[in-house]
Amino acid sequence: MKRVFFIVVWLGVALLGAGAFGKIAFDRGEPLNATWFVVAAVCCYLVAYRLYSAFVAARVLALDDTRATPSERHDDGRDFVPTNKWVLFGHHFAAIAGPGPLVGPTLAAQFGYLPGTLWLIAGAAFAGCVQDFVILFCSIRRDGKSLGQMAREEVSERGGFIAQLAVLAIMTILLAVVGLVVVNALKSSPWATFTLAMTIPIALLLGLYLRFVRPGRVLEASVMGVALVLFVVVAGQWVADSQSWSRVFTLRGVALAFAIIVYGFAASALPVWLLLAPRDYLSAFIKAGAIFTLAAGILFVRPQVLMPPLTRFIDGTGPVFAGKIFPFCFITIACGAISGFHSLISSGTTPKMILRESHARFIGYGAMLLESFVGVMAMVAACAMPPGIYFAINSPPSIVGGAGAAAATTISGWGYPLRAQTMSDLAHRVGELTLWNRAGGAPSLAVGMAQIFSSTIGGERLLSIWYHFAIMFEALFILTVLDAGTRVGRFMVQDLGGRVWKPLGRTGGMPGILLSSAIIVALWGYFLYQGVVDPLGGINSLWPLFGISNQLLAAVALVVATTILMKMGRLRWIWVTLLPMAWLVVITMTASYQKIFDANPRIGFLAYANALAAQIASGKIPAEQIAETQRLIFNQRLDAAVTGVLAAMILVLIVEALAQWYSILSRRKEPELHESPYVATRWAADFSGAAHGDD
Amino acid sequence: MRRAAKNTLRFLRRFWRGLREWCGDAAYESYLRSQGTQSGSGRTLTPAEFYVEQLNRRYSRPSRCC
Repeated sequence: MKRVFFIVVWLGVALLGAGAFGKIAFDRGEPLNATWFVVAAVCCYLVAYRLYSAFVAARVLALDDTRATPSERHDDGRDFVPTNKWVLFGHHFAAIAGPGPLVGPTLAAQFGYLPGTLWLIAGAAFAGCVQDFVILFCSIRRDGKSLGQMAREEVSERGGFIAQLAVLAIMTILLAVVGLVVVNALKSSPWATFTLAMTIPIALLLGLYLRFVRPGRVLEASVMGVALVLFVVVAGQWVADSQSWSRVFTLRGVALAFAIIVYGFAASALPVWLLLAPRDYLSAFIKAGAIFTLAAGILFVRPQVLMPPLTRFIDGTGPVFAGKIFPFCFITIACGAISGFHSLISSGTTPKMILRESHARFIGYGAMLLESFVGVMAMVAACAMPPGIYFAINSPPSIVGGAGAAAATTISGWGYPLRAQTMSDLAHRVGELTLWNRAGGAPSLAVGMAQIFSSTIGGERLLSIWYHFAIMFEALFILTVLDAGTRVGRFMVQDLGGRVWKPLGRTGGMPGILLSSAIIVALWGYFLYQGVVDPLGGINSLWPLFGISNQLLAAVALVVATTILMKMGRLRWIWVTLLPMAWLVVITMTASYQKIFDANPRIGFLAYANALAAQIASGKIPAEQIAETQRLIFNQRLDAAVTGVLAAMILVLIVEALAQWYSILSRRKEPELHESPYVATRWAADFSGAAHGDD
Repeated sequence: MRRAAKNTLRFLRRFWRGLREWCGDAAYESYLRSQGTQSGSGRTLTPAEFYVEQLNRRYSRPSRCC
């Protein structure tokens, strides 16, 4: 009887999800209500979690709760801390949820809402969640070893080195691209620039408080910090209204890029307690609050989705970024469906804090489902505005013909009606000078979020405050990724560079810290600068590069996972990781090939470089712009080389893995699994981790 | 009614404890309770020492994602 009830309930959930999906996919009439997106996503997540993740947990991984986890065996209160599964879920989610699931879907909305939404949900259920879950499991069984260490031990020495290089590459591109998103969000916006600039002294104040006044009292410091940040969001309006102050905080792209580069260097070289950690605390609270508010706002307002399911830009002529729906929709969505970077978190802090193996399903698979839901919400927020406005905000001037009437005519000509006055009115209503040509995803998402928030609280009167709250929320946690990433990058440079020149490897010495910080900042800073001065908008070349490197790292993680499953004797089930891996290799390779060799200058780096070179040769470029154009040509060739190296790395790793798989399958070599030996748990079955605290 | 109030209170207490653990507010208390500290194998750190040491470790590896 119970079984019948169970089947009926889950059949109902599945049918409801299928119905909502059908409505999203086939509705071609009136604008669709966002509730359909929420219902489709939630039903799919429930079914995927209840059935697919249970299958992976029981059959593929055979999780064993009688086995002591690293947090029990090495409980030191520092790295290895037995943690309640809900608390660890919050930790893990806060660590994996960055700007990617917000920006990626917003950019991919240029194809229409349908392809992005489908990939966000299906990609998460069958690829992203599986990757996070399996890598977390593998790391738990290996005392919390990192992805690089596991690749070295289970695949090959070279595999480990490739994984390490891939991490450094993704880090460099990631930091540049998130920096570019911030630049485009703050450009010519005194209100937003002031608000974000003020978060630095606020963080310094909190840092000193937490270090010297009340060491480690994070909660009380964060409450003070959040209150101050909310105050400066409102105070930004006074700055924008003041003629003299607004001039100080109205910065152009290049000036903002240099400010961010200096900030990244300072955050990496200064003591971590002074600036980086307090900013992270602020960001974590504001991120959690904003995401929760957005979800509540969408459920409350139930906005109409105005973007069509598919736009004309599926043919690859999109103004936001060029390239066809395959592979660029998948490359652009990236983190909202599957992110290679998550494998670093799943093989970093989380495995050292997990109480039981069975919690890996809830934390690894469940947290990624939630991240995918954040991506769906971002898609809804971006698609809830009229498409004409979306394209006006996200298209570079070189594509739409500048700003104002000419650009409005171009966009209207695409079939998305827009009046120049509409953009001026909107900019005025949100307290900005202009909203034209603000590619990067952040401003359009902020407009979408502000419209949803203001429909819930405050109405039109608070639209400008909500817009700048949304910009501050995005920029704040993007900068947190930037400063934390720069610091980790610094350690990687010290680790790799220390093998060549010993003083560079000394993590405690000031010359080593300054030099390695300068190297990592110069690496991403160069790409950031290149993106800011790129006439095609920067996002067009940098975001696909980021997507490729991110998906490459995910492919690395899935190669490691497949090899481990094979060694565990789970041959029958290796398709669980093998199929997503094969898919990632196909999209990464196709995107890499097109970004390097495509004949369309907006897609292919080399074609763009050649077109610019031809313009110089034919004398079309004025003499004073020749040096700048030559720099652009160099940048395009550099981007082509970076893409080529990334693609070559994954090919080498796959060859390494194939050799390993062949020797296992042909039984030429006994598979050697590097798991920690079995130790039975001493914890009672009902121990929840809270007992470790003050229960 | 009384039972409902008791349950709500228990839930709020758990939520508060979870929030403190999540944001790192209770990290020093966890450290003091850990087996490593209880065994007395090394010098127990002061709250300020523990705070700085914990931050240095946390931010030397990927802790925030894209």
